Amino acid sequence: MNNQLISIKNLVKYFPIKKGVFRNTVGWVKAVDDVSFDIYSGETLGLVGESGCGKSTTAMTILRLEEPTGGDIIYQGKNLAKISKNNMRKYRKDLQVIFQDPYSSLDPRMKIKDIIAEGLAAHHILNKKKRYKKVAEILERVGIVPEYMERFPHEFSGGQRQRIGIARALALDPKIIICDEAVSALDVSIRSQIINLFKELQREFHLTYLFIAHDLSVIKYISDRVAVMYLGKIVEIAPKDIFFQNTLHPYAQALVSAVPVPNPDFKKKRIILKGDVPSPANPPEGCRFHPRCSKAMDICSKKEPLLKEIEKNHFVACHLY
Amino acid sequence: MVNDNKTKILQVKDLKTYFFTENGIVKAVDGVDFEIYQGETLGLVGESGCGKSVTAFSIVKLLDYPGKTVGGQVFFRGEDLLKKTEKKMRQIRGKEISLIFQEPMTSLNPVFTIGFQITEALTVHYKISKSKAQEKAVQLLEKVGIPIPEQRINEYPHQLSGGMRQRAMIAMALACDPTLLIADEPTTSLDVTIQAQILELMKTLLKEFNSSLIMITHDLGVIAEIADRIAVMYAGKIVEYTDTRSIFYNPLHPYTYGLLTSIPRLDLDIEKLDSIPGLVPDPLHFPEGCKFHPRCPFATAKCRKEEPVLKEVENKHMVRCWHFEKVKEEAKKIAFTGRLAVSE
Repeated sequence: MNNQLISIKNLVKYFPIKKGVFRNTVGWVKAVDDVSFDIYSGETLGLVGESGCGKSTTAMTILRLEEPTGGDIIYQGKNLAKISKNNMRKYRKDLQVIFQDPYSSLDPRMKIKDIIAEGLAAHHILNKKKRYKKVAEILERVGIVPEYMERFPHEFSGGQRQRIGIARALALDPKIIICDEAVSALDVSIRSQIINLFKELQREFHLTYLFIAHDLSVIKYISDRVAVMYLGKIVEIAPKDIFFQNTLHPYAQALVSAVPVPNPDFKKKRIILKGDVPSPANPPEGCRFHPRCSKAMDICSKKEPLLKEIEKNHFVACHLY
Repeated sequence: MVNDNKTKILQVKDLKTYFFTENGIVKAVDGVDFEIYQGETLGLVGESGCGKSVTAFSIVKLLDYPGKTVGGQVFFRGEDLLKKTEKKMRQIRGKEISLIFQEPMTSLNPVFTIGFQITEALTVHYKISKSKAQEKAVQLLEKVGIPIPEQRINEYPHQLSGGMRQRAMIAMALACDPTLLIADEPTTSLDVTIQAQILELMKTLLKEFNSSLIMITHDLGVIAEIADRIAVMYAGKIVEYTDTRSIFYNPLHPYTYGLLTSIPRLDLDIEKLDSIPGLVPDPLHFPEGCKFHPRCPFATAKCRKEEPVLKEVENKHMVRCWHFEKVKEEAKKIAFTGRLAVSE
């Protein structure tokens, strides 16, 4: 559990805002702004936050599907942020991704067997016959009858497609799988099947997950550690038990308190946040959360709080602590 | 829990809505019965395709081809809506029964200002001057918590955030003091902190207006918070129908039980989630007998042949299952884990 598999250091991703006839850059959307964290081998790191907080951009930047504006991604002693695209290809099979929408993430014109074998072919692993044999094994493992490999994506339901997406990621024996809202689009009864599948596969193949979700209940169930993002920054990161017992950042507290609990007798003090999330193109000065924070002090609008270790392994970016 | 002394606002009896597709008849809603009393919130829960939205659209007769309500009655204040003409329905929709939809971006008209869309409801249903309507619209926006309503009223939907748009939708729905609100997944596309704001707002306004609400959602957390009574739907039928506490503490249908034990919980540490095996059946080929039997751990030969009826098995607790007693036993067994608690 203690060896870092991948280290993200000061990751930055800005998107230009272009305006006018000459498409001049008039500003920057600071989607990910100085984010650092490690992912340990065999763990699940849950990354949670609301839409637009930069959690997906963080994932896409780690995968180099978006070019990072700055920062380092250290994996096996190499800085993935700095190596050439060509060199990056070698590492892609170690870093796989599963997307949210099982409808748009599978090519409708490819057979299931080709969707899953595509990665193997691109990396010249095995010959064609062996590849399909492997596809059949993986399909069986994720709960799809291997005979279905001749079919097309539209013949499957949402839950089954997500299983196919998982099979595609598994085919390359990855080290890390980034799950970007991988269970959010699924119905309740199907969702628990897929979440349990994720857990089983992790044990079986010693996988490491970066599990991105907006649903804290799912994060609580699946993660070993939890990181909360707000407007491009990580505001709190801690082992799961510590995080849920002692949530410290006011935003994280509000987030936890806002989750509806399926128990009509469950009484809790709900923190209702004022207003909406500000635009990441023009984030507030100082602490980005201060305009919505009930505990904001003078310093919060002036100085940006840094992520610091409050107790062992529990990091919070807030002037209160 | 059911308020016998309160006025019954809506009574749906044996509602049947079928879709006549090229591939066959889809029985989206197949014999649904429920009622709603004044000031009460009824939760309609189920997964995609179970017929909960079609039920709502059938009530207000907003079905598109190839959908058609083929049977049943919908009594709204004693009159059968299904017998009413489109002209009469237009007078009822938006005035006495209002709808709030999931996606505020697609359900608001992008080419008209927020103010225009709210005042439209008022000017259509009441003899009221434009300036009066405008005034009322500002009040409504203020009531739903939109800051600087005088300015917002002249803005277009794209200028508002998701949460603000949903607030504007609620303002529109409330414009004519409706007796009944139907909300179809109103918070599903919103972030949790915004969802909390909207739920809080809906609860306050319902109390203030003493309106009834049909809340359609798949989220058991949301429903626990807002509903007085719950109807759980599966494959076009209500499978369990009772008050909210009984659903969560004393589930009698295996589907309800399965849903409750397969959701991750923020308030509990769960070692392993249960899951309901298999898939939601294809609506063109529903199984024989009980529609849930292929996924049901309690299923017997009887379930495969005979479809159970929805009947009252405990006080005001209706369930559609041959083996509800076994489900009750099973629920008792896991009660100590906190995931279900038995109320007796």
